Amino acid sequence: MNSGRLPRPVLALLFVVPFAVIIGVWVVVKHALHVSDDALASPAGVLAAARDLTGWGILPFDVSRSLYRLAIGSVLAAAIGIPIGLLLGTSRTCVAMFAPFLRFFQSVSGIAILPLLIVWFGFTEKTIQIVILYTALVPVIFNTMTGVRTIPPVYSDALATLGGGRLHVIRSVYLPGALASIVVGLRLGIGYGWRALIAGEMLVGAGGLGFMIFDARRFHDLGQIIAGMVILGALYLVIDRLVLAPIEAATIARWGLERT
Amino acid sequence: MRGGELQTSPATAAPVRRRVGPGSSRLLPLVPFVGLIVVWAVAWAVVRPKLATMPSIGQVAHTTQHLWSTGELWRDIGASLYRWGLGFVVGAISGVALGIVAGLNRIVARMLEPVMTFFTAMSGIVWLPLAIVWFGLGTTTVTFVIWNSVFFLVFANTMLGVRSAPRLLDDAARTLGAGRAHIVFHVIVPGSLPHILTGLRSAVGFGWRALIAAEIIGASTGLGAMIYQSKEFLRSDIIVTGVIFIAAIGFVLDTFILAPIERSTVERWGLVSTGRAR
Repeated sequence: MNSGRLPRPVLALLFVVPFAVIIGVWVVVKHALHVSDDALASPAGVLAAARDLTGWGILPFDVSRSLYRLAIGSVLAAAIGIPIGLLLGTSRTCVAMFAPFLRFFQSVSGIAILPLLIVWFGFTEKTIQIVILYTALVPVIFNTMTGVRTIPPVYSDALATLGGGRLHVIRSVYLPGALASIVVGLRLGIGYGWRALIAGEMLVGAGGLGFMIFDARRFHDLGQIIAGMVILGALYLVIDRLVLAPIEAATIARWGLERT
Repeated sequence: MRGGELQTSPATAAPVRRRVGPGSSRLLPLVPFVGLIVVWAVAWAVVRPKLATMPSIGQVAHTTQHLWSTGELWRDIGASLYRWGLGFVVGAISGVALGIVAGLNRIVARMLEPVMTFFTAMSGIVWLPLAIVWFGLGTTTVTFVIWNSVFFLVFANTMLGVRSAPRLLDDAARTLGAGRAHIVFHVIVPGSLPHILTGLRSAVGFGWRALIAAEIIGASTGLGAMIYQSKEFLRSDIIVTGVIFIAAIGFVLDTFILAPIERSTVERWGLVSTGRAR
């Protein structure tokens, strides 16, 4: 697993080759096998669709719409979930009580809640927001809670003997100590929330990337569908690898904590 | 994508602060559920909402019993489990097999990593519109989406597992005269098992959630379709029944499906400590 042995140009080539192979196979399948436009778009078709969508302003609008919803949902999930998780984590009994409860609701993804939400709030922005919030909340609370549990009690005990109240303990011991787990929880929450967002958008029809690729079916524009899919994948990669992973690494590096 | 799932709390070394009897600690997890039911009952009694908005516990029980006896519930559960089962098994087998093959060669593994990462990011319900164009609404589309979700996750974890298997064991086996095939099956594969099982474990829940989403959007039978269609008829009791079953089955799958395999392999071999999941 020694990457130092391969020269840089070779490494760059290795990165590109699989993508090139896929596009090559794609082109061959489309043209040599004469696959119709109704079943598959060519790479050129996808690029054209992406260019058109951007030009018409649809793509930037939908992307920003989706990202905006994800951001709001994530911030709310953090603002609500972290405090709850910290509070629950202070008590061993509470953690034992709520851990299975939360794991149970993990299986009820946001999308399963959707029909009920639609009945209550209709096909609106609010419905989508609640789906994201609910989906992201569970991992955040769970990981925060269990993160607090891994802190050796000697720290909170020490602070208590020095006269620290519960709030002080939470602020000075639990929050920093659980930070690595909290960040992992946020990363999971945002990842799950992203998928719930896309599914929610497909159904609720209030704009956004999910709705865009779902709706493009009606025009049989596979170029648009595939372009949207690629953008969705790329966006998730950017959010996870370029935004969340560095935060996670920085937190662990700073606090020198080992991840559970 | 990492094998994302909830982290279970590791066995803490902290001394027990309160003396809790063995009986009561086992009942503890039930408390929030009981609390939820109590809140539900009280809220319903106070607000008395319409059936369209929120059902009473009695209505849910009654509806469950009705759907159970007419067989509708079983039809939907059966459809969902069939699709999930098929998608999971095919995805798991193809993911593990290809993951092992890809992981054996260092160069191939490094080459495939970015591409597979991209496809993992794109996996699952993002394929729904395309799948509906190709296969129409129904079982094929749903199963495809599940296969998709499971395959990439399992493949990534398997490949990682193969690459992480300690080289030392490889070399040790070779000094004892083991051939390549023997090394693959008796050293590398068992050595990668923790990662493989982590991937499979995550894929169980992942696939189940993808199933529900796919059924809501792209099918007319199955638990997902059941809860989505009932909203048209403003039957929140059917919705709640469906959600409860979705949660229960998901929970059972998550907790019990891989546990026996894990117990008899990685935990017995001491490769992971009990109660841990990454």
